[in-house]
This record gives sequence, structure tokens and C-alpha cells, in this order.
Amino acid sequence: MTATSTDSRAPDPPAPARSPRRPARAGLGRPLLGAVGILALLGLWEAVPRLGVVSARYLPPATDVLAALGVRATTPGFWTAVGDTLAGWALGLAIAFTAAVVLGFTLGALPRIRAYTNSTVDFLRPIPSVALIPLAVLLYGTDLRSTLLLVVYACFWLIYIQVLYGVADVDPVAEQTARSYGLGRLARVRYVVWPTTLPYLMTGVRLAAAVALILSITAQLVIGSPGIGREIAVAQSSGAVESVYALIVATGALGVVINIGVRVLERRVLRWHTSVRGEATA
Amino acid sequence: MRRPLAALTAGAALLAATACGAQGASSEEDGGLTTLTAGVIPIVDVAPVYLGVEQGIFAEHGIDLRLESGSGGAAIVPGVISGEFDLGFSNLVSLIVAREEGLPLVTLSNGATTVGEQGADFGGVFVPADSPVESAADLEGATVAINNLNNIGDTTVRESVREAGGDPAAVEFLELPFPDMPAALETGQIDAVWAVEPFASIIRESGEREIASNFVDTHENLSVAAYFAAEPRVAEDPELFDELTAALEESLAYAEAHPDEVRSVITTYTEIDQSVIEELTLPRFPADIDTDSVQTLADLMVEDGLIDSEPDLDTLYR
Repeated sequence: MTATSTDSRAPDPPAPARSPRRPARAGLGRPLLGAVGILALLGLWEAVPRLGVVSARYLPPATDVLAALGVRATTPGFWTAVGDTLAGWALGLAIAFTAAVVLGFTLGALPRIRAYTNSTVDFLRPIPSVALIPLAVLLYGTDLRSTLLLVVYACFWLIYIQVLYGVADVDPVAEQTARSYGLGRLARVRYVVWPTTLPYLMTGVRLAAAVALILSITAQLVIGSPGIGREIAVAQSSGAVESVYALIVATGALGVVINIGVRVLERRVLRWHTSVRGEATA
Repeated sequence: MRRPLAALTAGAALLAATACGAQGASSEEDGGLTTLTAGVIPIVDVAPVYLGVEQGIFAEHGIDLRLESGSGGAAIVPGVISGEFDLGFSNLVSLIVAREEGLPLVTLSNGATTVGEQGADFGGVFVPADSPVESAADLEGATVAINNLNNIGDTTVRESVREAGGDPAAVEFLELPFPDMPAALETGQIDAVWAVEPFASIIRESGEREIASNFVDTHENLSVAAYFAAEPRVAEDPELFDELTAALEESLAYAEAHPDEVRSVITTYTEIDQSVIEELTLPRFPADIDTDSVQTLADLMVEDGLIDSEPDLDTLYR
């Protein structure tokens, strides 16, 4: 029915005065295009094993996998695993966020100390989180804390660096103006530094949200801490190929949901910012 | 100036604050039972402990056994050393290597033993149906996939080659996870694979050829894996570990006597397809480690250079 409403260029009743011609169609088209993309991918996935390009035993057709996922979604074990994965994701992201914001704002305000730490940060930042797996296992065994160590380490740098850039981007004129008006240190952070940093911070959070999910799953997959990743590992070591793909699809879906959530959050938090406002009015 | 370090550890420190209980977390009293945690792999071989828990054998010995089936075995030895696990399950080559590296591990009981029958073991060497390879001796110059280099796989496969009159040094080994082996074999990406259940059954079912039973070639009574613990932990509470060992031995005997129950308990902790479970070759589950077979294994490890010198196996057994 969406197709007919776009085709028959009818009066366009809902179009408000401020959005001229184009946006109405673009607004409808975008999610539609996304859906078409997914359908095309599923179609290709269905065809490849059916046509015998790849053996169906190692890549079961999409319909079989989705059916397996459907069956699995009715079991409480699946939702426990999803919950565990999201717990590792959310907690890890929250810890990384808090630590990065506190340290970022503190060090951002102290340029001399920041200069001292630069080289160390550059040394630690590129260390891949997965390289910490042996350490995580030794410290925390196979429970949630191992997952958190990996997630926090990876996400901290992403957000921290963005905060530093944001703090450094404060307009000196605005800063001086705020000083002239007698704003105290905290007030300046609240009314000058914070709004400047926020877009950077949100970029960091958006990147970190995706990375946190990847590492949450990786930790479960490799270390065996509870969650979808461990379910994948068990299915793998059981030779249950359909279950493996079903869980991978579930992970992908989780990623999409998280991404949509973060984008909604970004739009709300930055609704005053030109990057968001611009898109809405263009 | 220490800020950078603080930055690194900030997140970790927050967590560490809550982590202090990790060491002793596993032995709190719970309704008169002592809670112990075992690090196991979700594979067929550990069915006896799952069965033992299900049958209340551990409870009879005053133990509430929690089974942590992490993914690979990678987390088990560190977990046992750090005290996260009270006991673990591992193959004997890994245990001998760990012991040689100075990790204080001791075995509690046997884990899984070869069936001892050529062509009908729970693991073997497989080649594609149309492969020119007829026996293990023909593996000279071929590439064989194994799950872990310098471990029980290549050590025993080399012995198969040696027994068949081939030169084990001429065999190339490649690391590949078990789950990827059936596809690699079918698509001809690899000359041969060494696989264990359930993948041995999956490979057999797709019509590939089995050319050697490497465990049987090594020793007809080969103890493949064992349950183990950390020596200091055992010394701390010998009575508890006596009870644990007794419960393990009883569970193994129960599993040995009730293969049907073994097959049904496998469905509770793996996702192996029902049709495969019915076809599976189960290992044997004698309670005692065959020390003679472990000696053979250790000699091979020295010969192949996995370890430098003859290990003192007496210290390995509790």
C-alpha cells in the first residue's frame, strides 16, 4: 500500500508547509530502500545454496535459518542469552562512557598534563581489546566481568579521544565572553564546553555502541562468558550449522536495533545542533 | 603524570573492586553441599560429569558441582590456575606440557579413553572419498588439518604415520577448528583432517574415507583426556578432593554402564543433531588413567620435540 500512495501522486495531504515537494518521497523511500536491500540479500542467500553454488550443509538457505531462529526465539534460553549480551553491552558502554567523560573533561581542562599523557594514550589506544583475552580470563574467569574488561577497554578510547577533541574545539571567543560575564568554572563547563563537546561525544558513543556489541559477542565466543556468543560457540562445536547462522542473524538484528536506538538518541540530544537541524529543514 | 595509567585502568579498577571475591567464590557452603565449579568443553567426552550431576552422584559426596562449559579449552587451564575453576577437563598432552612449563596441575581421574578399535574410534584421520591416500604412510607430503598444533592431534597422527611405515616429518600440519573440517574436506581445500566426534560422524556420513585411528595406533588403551585440579588447592582441602575424585570415578563408571543415558544427556548441553547423536561413537570411560599409555604419549612428545626432556609423570597423577 505504500507503493500505491507514492505512485499515485495524490494531493499529499500530510505534507506540512515547511517541507516542499521532495522530502515526502524521500522520507517514505528510505526505509523502503532499506527493506528492499535486506530482501535482496535474503534472496541471494536463499539462492546460493539452493542453486548448489555452496553446499546447503555448510550454508543453509535463508528460509531454513530464519525458521530455526523462529523456533529458537520461543525458548527462554535464547532470551536469557540476549539479555546477557545486552547486559555486557550496556554496562560496558556505561562504564567506558563515565570514565571517558570524567577523564576527558578533567584532562581537557589541563593542557599541560594532557600533553604528558598524549604519547601514552597513543601507545595504549591501538592495542586490540581481544589481545586482553588471556588477561581477562586470568583475572575474571568466564563470567560477565571478562566481557566488561574487553568492552570497556575498546570503548573507552573511542569516547575519550572524541571528548578530548570536543573540549579542544571550544571557541576561545565564547570562552572569553563567558569569563567576561563572570561565569565560574563549572558554569563555563556547563554552558560553553559541554555544548561544544556534545556532538563529538555523541559520535564517540555511536562508534562505541557498535564496537561494544562486537566485543561483547567476541568475549562470549572466545572466553565462553554467558550470552549469544557462547551459544554460537556451543552450536559450532556441535556441528549445528543452522543454529550458528540463526544466532548470527540474531546478532545482526541486535546491531541494527542498537544502531537505530543510538541514532534516535543522537537526534534528540543534538536537536539544537546544525547537523541535525540542517537535515530536518533542508 | 600517572594519569595515563589511571586512564587505562579506570574502567578495569571499577570492576576489580567487585572482583575480589573471585578466588574463594566457588567453595561457599550451600545447604550442606560444597559448591565446586568445573571448567569443561561442550563436547561428547564430558557427558559423564553431566550425567553424574543429573544422577545426584556429586550431591551424594557432598558436592554441588557447577559445570561451566566455556567455548574452547583455552580458558580452562588459566581458570583452574587462577582459582576460578576448582577442576577442569583437558587432554593429557596439554596437561603434560602445562606441567613441564611449571604449572602445578594434577589429575583427579581419567576423562575419556579410546575405544581401541581400528576404524571405529571417536576420532580418526579422514580423506576425501576420491583421495589417492590409502594409508597413513601416504600422508607424506600431504597437509593434515588438526585443531591445535603441537598437541594431542599431531602427536598421535605422526605416530599413525610412523606405524604405517611413513616419515612423520614429511607430513604438514595446519590448524583448523573442528567445525570447519567437514567443509574443508568436502571442498578439497585440505588433503586430510583429524576429527573427533561429533564431526567424525558428520564426516563419515558424508561418505569420506577413514584411513587411520590415530588414538588406537598410539596405544590401544590410550587415556586421551583427564579431569585435573591445581595442586595447591588440592593440598588445602584433601578430603574434599577425595570426595570429588570418588564422585568423578562413580560418574565415569555410571556413564560406562549406561551409554543410552550418555546419549540423552548430550542433548542437554550441546546442540548436536539427534540423528548424529544416535550415530556417535562414544569414548570409553574407565575411571583410572592408563599410565602405560600416558608414558607412550610422553615418549612421543619428547621424540617430536613438544617437550625437551622426559617428564616426571608421577608428579602429574594425584
